Amino acid sequence: MKYILMMSGTKAGVDGYHAWAARDIEAHMAVLRSITKELTESGEFVATQPLAGPVEARVVRGERNGLPVTDGIFPESKEFLLGYWMVDVATPERAYAIAGRISAAPGPGGIPTNMPIEVRRLASPTGGRQ
Amino acid sequence: MKYILMMNTMRAEQGVPNWPRADLQAHIAFMKKLGQDLRESGELVLAEGLSFPDRARLVRAGKDGAPVTDGVFPESKEFLAGFWIVDVETAERAYAIAARASAAPGPGGAPLNMPIEVRPVMSAPPQEMM
Repeated sequence: MKYILMMSGTKAGVDGYHAWAARDIEAHMAVLRSITKELTESGEFVATQPLAGPVEARVVRGERNGLPVTDGIFPESKEFLLGYWMVDVATPERAYAIAGRISAAPGPGGIPTNMPIEVRRLASPTGGRQ
Repeated sequence: MKYILMMNTMRAEQGVPNWPRADLQAHIAFMKKLGQDLRESGELVLAEGLSFPDRARLVRAGKDGAPVTDGVFPESKEFLAGFWIVDVETAERAYAIAARASAAPGPGGAPLNMPIEVRPVMSAPPQEMM
C-alpha cells in the first residue's frame, strides 16, 4: 500500500527554520537523507519532493475572460506543504513508524523537532487517479 | 520548471461520494481527459489522489522513538485531496492548467471553481533530501 507522509508548516515556521544555525540545518538534513537511503535499501521508497517556500505559492481558480484567476494572499494560520515522502509499505503502522522517525529529526541544538507528519493512504494501490 | 498543483478541501466539502452518479462520472471523465492531455503534451510528471480525511493520521515521534498517532483535526484544517506535478515552461502555464482543473464540473455540471494551490517544487534535484 502506498502512503504519503506530509510535512507542513506555517509561513512563520518556515522563517524560523531559515534562521536555524547552518550546523543544525545540516544535522537535520543528514537524518532525513539517511531515512531516504534506508527506505531505498528496504525497497519502500517511492518518491520525495521538497517544495519551494510559501512566498511563491498562488491559489488559482477557474478562468475569467479565458485567463486563470490567481491570488497570493493566505491567512497567517495556513499550513503549507513543505515536502513529502511517498512510501510503499505493508501496513499503516509501518508508515506511522517512518513518519515518527521523520518527526524525530533533530532541530536547533539537536533537540527533536517532533513536527507533526500527516500520513494518508493514496487512493489507489497503483497510484494516480489519472 | 516543475510545479505542484494541489487540490485542497475542507473535510465538510468532501461530499463527492454523495453526488449523483452521472455528475461524478462527468467529473472523473474531465479529470481523466486533463491527465491524458498533460501526458500527451509531455507536461505530466506525477498525479496522485489521496484517500479521504477520515483515514488521515498525524504522527509525532514519542520519547521512546515510537510513533504517536492522532486522528483529531480542527474543523478548519485543509486536507490535500490530490495533486499534479507538471513540468512547464512558465508559471503562467502552470496557472492555466490549474484553472482548467479548477473548472472541473460538479453537481449539475456547474464548474466547481475550487481553489488550486500552485507552488514551484525545488528546481534543482532534491539533493538535500537524497
